[in-house]
Amino acid sequence: MVRKIRKTAVIGAGVMGGGIAAHLASAGIKTLLLDIVPLDLDEKKKNDHSERNKLVRSGFEAVLKSRPPLLMDQKDAELITLGNLEDDFEKLAECDWIVEVVIERLGVKQDLFRRIEKVRKSDAIVSTNTSGLTLRDLSEGLSKEFKQYFLGTHFFNPVRYMRLLEIISGEETLPEVIEFVCDFGERILGKGIVLAKDTPNFIGNRIGVQQIIMAMQLMHEKGLSVSEVDSLFGPVLGRPKTALFKTCDLVGLDTLAHVATNTYELVKNDEQKDTFKLPVFINKMIEKKLLGNKTGAGFYRSEWIDGQRVFKVIDLNNFEYQKVRESQFECLTKAGNADTLPEKIKAVVYGKDNGARFAWRVVATSLIYAASRIPEIADSIVEIDNAMKWGYNFQLGPFETWDAIGVEKSVNKMEEEGFSVPDKVHKMLQDGSRSFYKTENGKIFFYDFDTNNYKEQKVSESIISIAALKAMDKTVKTCKSASLVDLGDNVFCCEFHTKMNAINKEIVDFLEESLDFTDKNGAGLVIGNQAAISPGAFSAGGDLRLMGDMARQKNFDEIEQFIKNAQGVMQKSRYAAFPVVAAPYGLTLGGGCEICLGAADKMVAHAELYMGLVEIGVGLLPAGGGCLNLWKKFIRHVPEPVQGLDFAKFFAPVFRNIAMAKVSSSAVHARSLGFLGPEDRIVFNIDYLIGEAKKEVLRMVDAGYSPPVKRALKVFGDAAQGVIHMELNNMLSAGYISEYDEFLAKRIGYVISGGEMRVDGEIEEEIILKLEREAFVDFWKEPKTQARVEHMLKTGKPLRN
Amino acid sequence: MREAYIVTSVRTPGCKMGKGAFKDTRPEDLLTFILNTAIEKTPNLSKKDVDDIMVGCCFPEAEQGLNIGRIVGQMAGFPVEVPGATINRFCSSGLEAICQAALRVMAGWAEITIGGGVESMSMVPMGGNMPRPHPEYTRTHPELYIAMGVTAENVAKKYKIPRQAQDEFAFHSHMKAAEARRKNLFTESIPTPAVRYVLSDNDTYKKEMFIQDFDDGIREETSLDALAKLKSAFSVKGTVTAGNSSQTTDGAAASVIVSETKVKELDLKPIAKLKSYAIVGCRPEEMGVGPKYAIPKVLKLAGLGISDIGVFEINEAFASQALYCVKALDIDIKKVNIHGGAIALGHPLGCTGAKLCSTLLANMIQTGSKYGIESMCIGGGMGAAALFELCE
Repeated sequence: MVRKIRKTAVIGAGVMGGGIAAHLASAGIKTLLLDIVPLDLDEKKKNDHSERNKLVRSGFEAVLKSRPPLLMDQKDAELITLGNLEDDFEKLAECDWIVEVVIERLGVKQDLFRRIEKVRKSDAIVSTNTSGLTLRDLSEGLSKEFKQYFLGTHFFNPVRYMRLLEIISGEETLPEVIEFVCDFGERILGKGIVLAKDTPNFIGNRIGVQQIIMAMQLMHEKGLSVSEVDSLFGPVLGRPKTALFKTCDLVGLDTLAHVATNTYELVKNDEQKDTFKLPVFINKMIEKKLLGNKTGAGFYRSEWIDGQRVFKVIDLNNFEYQKVRESQFECLTKAGNADTLPEKIKAVVYGKDNGARFAWRVVATSLIYAASRIPEIADSIVEIDNAMKWGYNFQLGPFETWDAIGVEKSVNKMEEEGFSVPDKVHKMLQDGSRSFYKTENGKIFFYDFDTNNYKEQKVSESIISIAALKAMDKTVKTCKSASLVDLGDNVFCCEFHTKMNAINKEIVDFLEESLDFTDKNGAGLVIGNQAAISPGAFSAGGDLRLMGDMARQKNFDEIEQFIKNAQGVMQKSRYAAFPVVAAPYGLTLGGGCEICLGAADKMVAHAELYMGLVEIGVGLLPAGGGCLNLWKKFIRHVPEPVQGLDFAKFFAPVFRNIAMAKVSSSAVHARSLGFLGPEDRIVFNIDYLIGEAKKEVLRMVDAGYSPPVKRALKVFGDAAQGVIHMELNNMLSAGYISEYDEFLAKRIGYVISGGEMRVDGEIEEEIILKLEREAFVDFWKEPKTQARVEHMLKTGKPLRN
Repeated sequence: MREAYIVTSVRTPGCKMGKGAFKDTRPEDLLTFILNTAIEKTPNLSKKDVDDIMVGCCFPEAEQGLNIGRIVGQMAGFPVEVPGATINRFCSSGLEAICQAALRVMAGWAEITIGGGVESMSMVPMGGNMPRPHPEYTRTHPELYIAMGVTAENVAKKYKIPRQAQDEFAFHSHMKAAEARRKNLFTESIPTPAVRYVLSDNDTYKKEMFIQDFDDGIREETSLDALAKLKSAFSVKGTVTAGNSSQTTDGAAASVIVSETKVKELDLKPIAKLKSYAIVGCRPEEMGVGPKYAIPKVLKLAGLGISDIGVFEINEAFASQALYCVKALDIDIKKVNIHGGAIALGHPLGCTGAKLCSTLLANMIQTGSKYGIESMCIGGGMGAAALFELCE
């Protein structure tokens, strides 16, 4: 039997249920979303279908309104049908997977499962999204058949954006069911799967919340302020900018308190049980309804002062808000000067000041806590690290952090200070194992406490890690900005590794070398890279600093040469004798987008794709073939016998994409904007991206690849000018654009339409490239463009001048 | 010159573009129906007696292209000898068609003509399917092709017509129209056959005919509060909204124009005669002020003053421009669009001039006004006005 998920049901339309239903719909799965009939309906309303579906509908509407959006494409909302638990319960019989996401009350959930047991198909999977109750209690009294198909699937909020999916097997769950859901979650839903055990709050929240509450208890003792703690527990430790307290505001203090209290009551044999005890200030804040973002105020509050948004932070002594003051810890200055993340972390945890000593206590306690939880909550350190990376957006999990600060050194310090380091860690060091992870021949090994030995870390066959290949000496060529890596089967990968993967001269030259190398030695090329944190950037665009310097020195010839060279490489790649596949994900802007459109035969894109040609924001236009190739992308698929088309209909969206700097909010959205075409594929799991791109290359090779033939191209011609002048005048008169925007946009329209040419005329591709180049250099000569670039480099935000 | 008498003047209801009752009804069918109705409502008139059919249309292409004036004459069963023409003066096309048809009678070149108008904005978009402004001329004069909403903002800004006044004007348009509909005062509006596509019993779509007998854009339930909440539609921080702009609409209208000789011969009872017609150009970027110049010009031709006029139909392309013209000419607002205007009833572009003629004549009869004026603003920067005199 090959199990299929044709239809799913999500029961409970709250924040989590709605988020799960939306994500299933984004993945193209028909989903039935159910909630209870409101309890307070009067006799008249009781028979009104719409009143009976009120709760589920309001949950569904919250999904549609959510920002950032939970659905990748609003159209996919059609895949969700709504119903209530009385009138539509029988429909569960059609579902292959039923996810329970109702209120966290044992009795309510047990009753529901008893009802589901009666209607579900015999092989339907039933899972619970409980975060605090145990599967053992939840499935009590249910049949063996039910229990075999019953498991925990614990998603994190917001479901679309948080990668972690904890999967918990019950005592009787069939292995094939667990295996299936793991694969489905990873491949179809794109999640990072962590196998957790049936213990309170599983892995992510057990480790995460312990650290948060413990830090709160300790900060009081040490006299640190909320913003001081956040300055220590943010990016310097490889954690998100929301650090500790802003994360609490996001999650909601009530939810946090619920998880902590629940854990405190349920855990047995937990030597750190008291670190789940809520400090008094939390209860006071809950009383005062300072729950975080959902009530508008928590540890932080934003206020409007003179039209400016000002963030204020709570003073826990009097619960009043004051301006955020920058922390003055010496360790932070030191960390700021460090180059790598391990150096930064070391600067903080081994620092001497008050803040550093606090951070050390919290980190050390947390590392020990994580080690002590094995095998109680997870089989190995890998699950715990992954849970913290995927569920809390940490760059390094606890054991990776431990490696980063040096296991031996830190353990010595812990011992000196009276921490009780678990025996298994001592044992590891005694055996001569100096780190929790090691890489050998490109394979990652982790230290297994169970066997006191290293074990290979197994990943799905579809996953290719560029870093691992590089560690296996699979780097064919390299330079400071990029590397060419052998993916096997004669497929090579050109990887960028500059900051935000910005494209500079070196990358352009290296791409050309990669093409030459592949031409001689390979079957095909992937252009792709991998980011440490999500969503990451395939490439944020061209290196503005480089060209800005040239412009300041009036080296316009050099700018032209650079861009001409870039165009040449794009064309060389496009017409190479082997297939080229680009694998964009996350931010794919400007030059990054141009590479995908121009250099590759097709794209294999990650579902979270923020793609656009945004050059106008800095007073420029896509001149690395972006204008040419987006136009081509739009008209390429018109069948030859179709004649006399109105090119204005094609021109308008291409022009709008570029002149209004449209950026997609997902890969499906990129498809509806026209950046992705029918030949391009979307992949849900980001770790699969390089592997899938490689498969695509091999498929094209197998099919007998022949490069595209360069032919003259139909353009809209100067009829476009009239349309553009008319439209831009409207937008300018209405105040939507500045005069400089109008100036830039007119020229951009001129380029896309092929310049001075009769309507629907045919021209060589090189003519559009020439027009791109001329406009690009002319734009750089404009003081307002230079001002836009400078402002962007300084502030990271566009300037409207 | 001879007199030109309007003996019949009728219209279809106005129905909302894209979602209204006529969204699937071809413009030829709307027009065919209203031409036949005009003939039927004119006693003793037979189709062969008609000298010409002149049809105003704003975007005479696609469904309403290929000279819809001729096509529809044939579809309506006029003999091949009866010719037809399409007349274009953008928003005043329908009025232009009536006036040109009347002029032919006045000149003695025809005895009986039909002037009318049609627009299916559902089928042919505003601006047409393939706009191609001139590439070089637009470099220096893009305003000749300016969007209508932007001109409304320009008028509001330049002549200081505040948001609240625009919203109040729009509110009253809806209230007046709603009341007129309740009291069945739209005597010129004829229940019209329309089609829709419905899923039939054999699971395929079939065209189904139905009768539409009311203007479907009137919002009886609107309020000043609701209108005040709308966002500006055409400009950053503007005052012109979807609520205080005319609705985009489908519709058709026709008038039968007859010489004095034929009035007697056929024993007809004329409603009114066309006294004068005037058109004036103005700046394209504030085209809405057109009526301010056209109304004095048409009055001057007839030797009359504003106070001589009993009722006005001034097309409400936008509240800002309509209100400005009324104020600038010091017209008593109680005489203007007494049963609501295009904000409630819709502005089916090329049809509107012909449609407002039928409404004006009905209102002149109802109020017993001797003189009535119809006036339109016109894209590209023009104003048109026609003066009618009620027959005893």
